Amino acid sequence: MKPISQMAQLELAAYVHDHLRQQGIDVVLSGGSVVSFYSRNLYVSKDIDLVNIAFTRQSKLRKAMASIGFSERGRYFQHPESAHIVEFPSGPLAVGEEPVRDVQEVMLETGSLRVISAADCVKDRLCAFYFWDDQQGLEQAVLVAQNHSVDLAEIERWSLVEKHAEKFAQFREQMQKGWNK
Amino acid sequence: MLEPLLGSTNAERALIFIQARGEGYAREIALFFETDLYGIQKQLDKLEVGGILVSRKVGRTRLYVFNPRYPFVAELVALLAKALTFYPETTRTDLTMNRRRPRRRGKPDEANLTDGAA
Repeated sequence: MKPISQMAQLELAAYVHDHLRQQGIDVVLSGGSVVSFYSRNLYVSKDIDLVNIAFTRQSKLRKAMASIGFSERGRYFQHPESAHIVEFPSGPLAVGEEPVRDVQEVMLETGSLRVISAADCVKDRLCAFYFWDDQQGLEQAVLVAQNHSVDLAEIERWSLVEKHAEKFAQFREQMQKGWNK
Repeated sequence: MLEPLLGSTNAERALIFIQARGEGYAREIALFFETDLYGIQKQLDKLEVGGILVSRKVGRTRLYVFNPRYPFVAELVALLAKALTFYPETTRTDLTMNRRRPRRRGKPDEANLTDGAA
């Protein structure tokens, strides 16, 4: 097994994911690190957000993480040999008002990893743009959508449910600008 | 009122306050309900960890609002809005009728003005 100090972000996520699965703890990768995954590392985040989809108690998570050398610092876990930060946002796994149903499982050198789909990653990033006007969220959504085939009609349907038709239009405009480059 | 459901009186106070005013910070919530600051801080923290609230720093104050990304936020706000209608009228009025418009620095507080001085 590759030493933790040499694990890239997603390799570390897979290592933690598999270890937790062995302990009966279900987590799914979401957040900024999924943008790295779907954008072929064009965007890099130090955070690893593993959504605690089965609502495992924090004490059980703490014990499981401690057994592979991670210590809890506030709301995060960190390993002494890694710069990455692992967080367990509480479930449910959702994008806006809708639950996430499509979870992909990928195999990496350090283990398997369950990840939200590219379309849900786009929606997840758009949430930040829609609710907080976060321009980075918009850029990241465009980056993922440009690097992966996502169903724009589905993103539009979801955006209308979230009552953000105007901001969806901005997203689509940014996408088209990218295509025309 | 919602304490049996939420498991904590202070969680209900924090949520009702934020529902009524749109935002809130620990000290003002504790002062409003004349309760212990630590108890409110603890509940705000738990609600943030649970994804129900989000916070941002404004100066030295941590201001909490509902997390628009929480999938049940609309239903929760509707429940709290209904619960608020069952609160005593004085509490409802004090929660919702607070001054929000600006008041120029240096002017005395309205509460300190005597009749005819406004």
